[in-house]
Amino acid sequence: MENLQALKLPSGKIAQERCITRTAKTGKLAWITGEAVKHIFLAGISLVMAFPFLWMVISALKTKAEVMNTEVFWPQEAQWGNFAEVIFHSPILRYMGNSLLVSAAIVLLQVVTGAMMAYALSFMRFRGRKTLFLVVVGTYMLPPAATYIPGYIILSQLNLLDSLTGLTISCTVNIFGIFLLRQAFMQLPYGLVEAAKVDGARPWYILWKIVFPLTRPTFITFILMSFITSYNSYMWPSLITETPDKALISQGLRMFFIEGGAYGTEWPKVMAASAVIVIPLLLLFLFTQKWFIKGISDTGMKG
Amino acid sequence: MYRWRRRGEALFFVLPILIPLIVFWIYPIIRSGWISFTNWDYMTPEYDFVGLKNYKDLLSTGGFFPALKNTLVFGLGTAIPVITGGFLLAVLVRSLKKGSKFYQFILFSPWITPTVAISIVWTWIFEPDTGIANIVLRFLHMPALQWLHSSQTAMLSVILVTLWKTLGYAMIFYLTALAKVPEELYDAGKVDGASKLALMRHITIPMVSPTTLFLVVLNTVNALQAYDQIQVLTQGGPSGSTRTLLYLYYQLGFEQFHMGQAAASGVLLVIIASVLAGIQFAVSKKSVHY
Repeated sequence: MENLQALKLPSGKIAQERCITRTAKTGKLAWITGEAVKHIFLAGISLVMAFPFLWMVISALKTKAEVMNTEVFWPQEAQWGNFAEVIFHSPILRYMGNSLLVSAAIVLLQVVTGAMMAYALSFMRFRGRKTLFLVVVGTYMLPPAATYIPGYIILSQLNLLDSLTGLTISCTVNIFGIFLLRQAFMQLPYGLVEAAKVDGARPWYILWKIVFPLTRPTFITFILMSFITSYNSYMWPSLITETPDKALISQGLRMFFIEGGAYGTEWPKVMAASAVIVIPLLLLFLFTQKWFIKGISDTGMKG
Repeated sequence: MYRWRRRGEALFFVLPILIPLIVFWIYPIIRSGWISFTNWDYMTPEYDFVGLKNYKDLLSTGGFFPALKNTLVFGLGTAIPVITGGFLLAVLVRSLKKGSKFYQFILFSPWITPTVAISIVWTWIFEPDTGIANIVLRFLHMPALQWLHSSQTAMLSVILVTLWKTLGYAMIFYLTALAKVPEELYDAGKVDGASKLALMRHITIPMVSPTTLFLVVLNTVNALQAYDQIQVLTQGGPSGSTRTLLYLYYQLGFEQFHMGQAAASGVLLVIIASVLAGIQFAVSKKSVHY
């Protein structure tokens, strides 16, 4: 009887096996202790993982003298002025604006063109579809960096070096996104799209009025992942832009860091600048966590 | 008539992405191959065809093998702890009755923050005199380290930062995989009197092995592409101890303007990545419908 009960508990919990061999009462006690030990262990790991973020904020609130003094852990008085200075007297906001603008444009391009490609690969019949799909698969795991030297030359020939437009159009392709959408499209009942076609609906209409509403969660995931990747990107933007005015946040932050931190003692301001950039992303993540996890689950299906 | 319309529609759907795909992916890869056989230096418009010289130089004196070794150390040094740690954390978090969402949030959050910003924070943590890493070591009565400033420990530091950033990511992959293991398998195992360890060894680990393979490939490809943290933390130094293949490519191309050699190293990168992707594709094909 007891065995049966233990087996009926939801999802294979390690602790429930203990219930099998002990009486109900000590079993419960052992289960609670087990749970507590796990929580203590995970809380410890979480503290270590979150520590760089905490230390960033603590350091940002110190004075220059406090930050260099190894005896001081907490600032005596929180220096909110460091944040004010970074926000109002440094180009950080401008870099954020650039990043937001470029990321929004890139997301729009990637999602619209990616959805069209995924639709063509999933529902259209045309010559060369197989070849096209092989090309897309073949590009999937290539290191983008291998394209950077010719990419640089192409942008300079198009006269688009050192411009946000050049940056945006050179990031139009998101192979991962095409896979993600295609995977979602393939799970729709095939008859659905066929029926719409028979009714005379055009592909553009089917994609945005029938397929899109049914696969909206995948679109949300794609948008968020694409946004974060563009917003955080560093190598390619830093190679093709020179003018500080056109820097994205990562590049801008690094310039700020070289001026103030790496070779100076302006660590509180460098940490404040990092915090200004990192905290909004953490907040965004707090509210969108499940979509990122969905993206990973969908990717994992392939593996 | 209908056929032409259908072709036109297909073209309309494919071209908006096919053009940038050709201009910024396919053509550049081919062009890289061509440049790798020349002695182009970016400044002068003329260049000569030099055959395999760039590859020979790269493999003999050009630093390919030290960089390959660093890439391997970096790749294995991150992949092994990320994969085992991610798996164990996933098992632990999944077994919780409450609070698993909270831990997922904390452990996964480093992954979504910009590598440059957090690498700057880590530079500050690693500062030999005033950084908290050495304060902690001294507090534990352990010898302080030079971290990023010594060729002995620089790679370790870069690995630590990368590990910190990707651990939660691997955990989420495993959480998904664990959720898909059929419960009946465990029930059957328990009825047979299998111990917890036996269940783990004979059910859990084999059932999540596709995810493990996927993470091995993903981590290796990521190791091949790591740039942001290296650029901020060490710039490939001290004395080349953190110069990975991609960083070598960057230095040859965008610091020294040896475009031919840089392109050659890029081609080698592509070859290595293709082999890895091929392995992944071949193995996963069985369980996947593309």
